[in-house]
Amino acid sequence: MASSAAMRDLQRELESKANDLRKLQKDIAKNHEIRKKYTVQLGENELVLKELDLLSEDANVYKLIGPVLVKQDLAEANANVRKRIEYISAELKRLDATLQDMEDKQNSKKEGIMKVQQKIQVLQAGKAKV
Amino acid sequence: MATARGKGTVTSLSSTFPAEEARKAADLVNHTINEKRSELDNLRSFVADNTNLINLVQRLPDELHHHIQVPFGKAAFFPGRLVHTNEFLVLLGEGYFADRTAKQTVDILKRRGQTLESHVDSVKAVIKDLKAEASFFYRTAEEAAEGLVEIREELSDDEDSEGSQEKEDAASEPEVGIGSSAAVLDDEEYARIMSRLDELEKEELEEEEEDEDTEDHRDVTNGEDFNNSEQSEVQHHTKVLSDSISLPNDADKSIHTYLNLQPNHKDDCSRGKDILQKFVERPMEEDNVPSVVKTSFPSESRSKSEVYVPAPKPEVGNQLSRQVKTDSLKAFTGSIIERTDNLQISPDREPINQPSNSQPSKPVSRFKMQRRGV
Repeated sequence: MASSAAMRDLQRELESKANDLRKLQKDIAKNHEIRKKYTVQLGENELVLKELDLLSEDANVYKLIGPVLVKQDLAEANANVRKRIEYISAELKRLDATLQDMEDKQNSKKEGIMKVQQKIQVLQAGKAKV
Repeated sequence: MATARGKGTVTSLSSTFPAEEARKAADLVNHTINEKRSELDNLRSFVADNTNLINLVQRLPDELHHHIQVPFGKAAFFPGRLVHTNEFLVLLGEGYFADRTAKQTVDILKRRGQTLESHVDSVKAVIKDLKAEASFFYRTAEEAAEGLVEIREELSDDEDSEGSQEKEDAASEPEVGIGSSAAVLDDEEYARIMSRLDELEKEELEEEEEDEDTEDHRDVTNGEDFNNSEQSEVQHHTKVLSDSISLPNDADKSIHTYLNLQPNHKDDCSRGKDILQKFVERPMEEDNVPSVVKTSFPSESRSKSEVYVPAPKPEVGNQLSRQVKTDSLKAFTGSIIERTDNLQISPDREPINQPSNSQPSKPVSRFKMQRRGV
């Protein structure tokens, strides 16, 4: 009886841990997606910056804000793009850090699950003997 | 599944990589390959669009205005006229636009095309990698299904020593080869290898001799005075040694000349003579060393010769006759004069010892080998 109770406990533990792991994996996937988006944006911004650098001083530059095109100073546009790139880079770094953190957590969770599974196996083996 | 027997273990591949799992992994990789392929197709369509757009933009300023169908709403068109054909408002990305001429627009589009191309290339590389991975997985699955086993054996110590023994044997073999190479006369490649070997031997000896000779060298540098016969003997001895071997510059030169000569001298006999020349020339240059010096040799040279030449006397006698023979082959004065001089002065042992003494151990061994070869 006692062994079956312990077994039930262990199985419950395993289930909760598996759920945690699933959640973590979902988070990681989400993180990956966000990261991908940011990388694309970074690439686009870098392209824009390159083109803006190539423009002559007196070129007309517009920014699309909502439904209207607003004329902008070239220098201003340049500064804006640069700032945006900086922001995205920082964001990417942050995402990397959290991703690393989550992966570590995931690994530890996996190990925990393995341990619980082993325990269950041992219990089952004991049961079979008895 | 693993069976441990003695030194090695035999593991069937299917126990570590079940065929089912391997196949699954391969399928997974194939799936990603397909995803990447669709990405690649997408990129290719972008590239095509871009080139089309470039063509269009290049053509537009050809005319002052174009007659076009203007889209109105979703389904309707009405005829219109396109004016200002050389003015473009180009979207740079991120909501930024710029007024550009057709030419400038084409430049921008071309740059964009280049980035697209690089994207295409990178995706292609990724697909290639994935394909290799997939093929590996499939092969693993196949092998596991066939029942391939992995055998691991640890290399024990005695096996290792055996291996080294074999290596030593293998290393000693080429030396024998040098001796018997008299048979292989016109092999220039071989000669080059041999000369390289000789060079290495000489360098080795150089290092060995350097240690022994450092004290003697000091003597040489200190004084040219030949007051003491013993000292001069030492000097002569070291000069010979250093000239032929240990002095870096001179030795290098002699080696190089030797190397240059090497391919020309195809028969071993002349080669031996050549070496002899190198070694014996030096005493000649050492302007007439007194004969007394030679007699004082045994004290030191005997002991040295014992170290260097473990070979019995008949062999040495053979050497002598060989030298005479080589001299007769080519009119080479240096060695013959030295030799006869020695012979006259002292009974058999000293002159025999002297050359072998002046020569380090390796060249002597070469003679030995020569004899073996002949």
